[in-house]
Amino acid sequence: MSHIINVSSLKKNYGNVKAVKGIDFHVNEGELFAFVGPNGAGKTTTIDIICTLLKPDSGAVIVNGYTLGKQDDKIRKNIGIVFQDNLLDNLLTIKENLYTRGSFYGLSSKELSAAVEKAARAADVESFYNRPYGKISGGQRRRADIARALVNTPKILFLDEPTTGLDPQTRKSVWDTIRNLQKGTGMTVFLTTHYMEEAAKADYIAIIDNGRISAKGTPSELRAKYSTDTLRLISKDNERLTTFLNEQNIKFIISSGAFIINISNTLGALPLVNKAESLISGFEVISGSMDDAFVKITGHVMREDAG
Amino acid sequence: MTVMINLIKRNLKLFFRDRTSVFFSLLAVFIIIGLYVLFLGDMMTNNFKELLGSNSRFIVDSWVMAGILSVISITSTMGAFHIMIEDATKKISKDFLSAPLKRSQLAGGYIISSFIVGVIMSIAALIISEIYILAGGGSLLGLMSLLKLLGVMLLSVFASSAMVFFIVSFFKSSSAFASASTIIGTLIGFLTGIYIPIGSLPSGVQTAIKIFPISHSAALFRQIMMEAPMSKAFANAPAQVVTGFKQMMGIVFFFGDRELSPLINMLVLIVTGVVFLALAILNISVKKKQ
Repeated sequence: MSHIINVSSLKKNYGNVKAVKGIDFHVNEGELFAFVGPNGAGKTTTIDIICTLLKPDSGAVIVNGYTLGKQDDKIRKNIGIVFQDNLLDNLLTIKENLYTRGSFYGLSSKELSAAVEKAARAADVESFYNRPYGKISGGQRRRADIARALVNTPKILFLDEPTTGLDPQTRKSVWDTIRNLQKGTGMTVFLTTHYMEEAAKADYIAIIDNGRISAKGTPSELRAKYSTDTLRLISKDNERLTTFLNEQNIKFIISSGAFIINISNTLGALPLVNKAESLISGFEVISGSMDDAFVKITGHVMREDAG
Repeated sequence: MTVMINLIKRNLKLFFRDRTSVFFSLLAVFIIIGLYVLFLGDMMTNNFKELLGSNSRFIVDSWVMAGILSVISITSTMGAFHIMIEDATKKISKDFLSAPLKRSQLAGGYIISSFIVGVIMSIAALIISEIYILAGGGSLLGLMSLLKLLGVMLLSVFASSAMVFFIVSFFKSSSAFASASTIIGTLIGFLTGIYIPIGSLPSGVQTAIKIFPISHSAALFRQIMMEAPMSKAFANAPAQVVTGFKQMMGIVFFFGDRELSPLINMLVLIVTGVVFLALAILNISVKKKQ
């Protein structure tokens, strides 16, 4: 697979604030790439730089074979962006918005109406196509934003926190639309999120914290490397189980009535469960989640507060 | 070019669909008309009764309406440029700049659409003015005068939109722009000398009015709109009386003893437009480099 985006030693300061402190990563063509990090980690700054909206202080970025800073217009032609804020015009209908923004890409009027129709269908905005953008719901607005980003049939679709502020059900349907787009058209999708359960569904994850990439890999790689599986034992007799575990030299903590033991993998639970069978009334094996991995990598839980 | 046309269409739709922005750009017109209907109109008509006879009302009405036409070129273009400020504060411009369009196309879109808004709103004000004059017992403009008036209107809106664009290029926030446009909207009537005849103001104020470029469009509008009623009222009057009245009412401006011809009034508008447009573009490109 070829690298459709290549970022090397990218740096950006705002005055004394170092927003991005030299990051390297690449995105493979056709994959869904999740850029994960808490608010203020440097996600939006990085997206803005890749999308030609912000000049980096140093570093090199190649997008679809074009060099950032030299071939910006070519990059702009090949990307579509869904911004964190809703940036269409409230007083115009979805159709009018799509035609206006679509006209920026040098298409003939025939090509434009074909492109608008295609984008509207792909983002599923047809049921409120002729309603003003200012009068539709948050989820519908997000869909309209996606349609806007698709209007130039981009090679790469950027989405900056596409599901933030939506209710869980809408979040899921927006997410499904994004996934289907990527699978159906082979488009590369680059998105930022601070929902770990969403990131877990991406093809590749880069975790950014405090302006630096602290880990990258596929979700299963990251889970395997950074999160641990746990075994929960429900004891018949706490004292006897404690003595048993101490004899075996196994570390444990007791939490809400259960003995919790870290294990290297889920299968590792079997011999222990077998040996302790007579002492327990039940057990549970929990495989490590992306949330655990994130905590391990960044040293803190994902901040949910918006900022 | 198609990009700019589409941007212009968008800006025009945004302006005319926003009822409050349309209302506020006409507000100055309504305030001035209200002021004259309620107080100043009768007072002035009576003051000039002796001099102008039965044409007094027609002449005063035309004088007021000419002033309105010059004021609306400023207030309406200011309303239209509000879209540009909004785009910047709501970050909509970010979406524009993520597309392969040039900043000059974007700026051109704002300037041309505010020019068009200015012309449309001026024509609306002209229609209101003619109805007002007709209702007061005056008569409508002849075809030649109307054409001349439209020509002056284009110059006036050109100069105004360039000046407003220059002012707007300094503002970054919507609220700062809103306060500025309130202040300008209030002052504009004084700066163009349309509330009180220029002749009855102190000489310092008179100079300020003459220096303010848009006053020259007011003078041109007065020359055209007051021509017919004045030729009747002053049919047998000595030239000195006519000149005195013109000077008093700001129909022609004098610098010292020199009377400014209509050509000079027009030149003032053209030069203003060109200079401020250049300054605004300069200001924007300096900002871009930072």
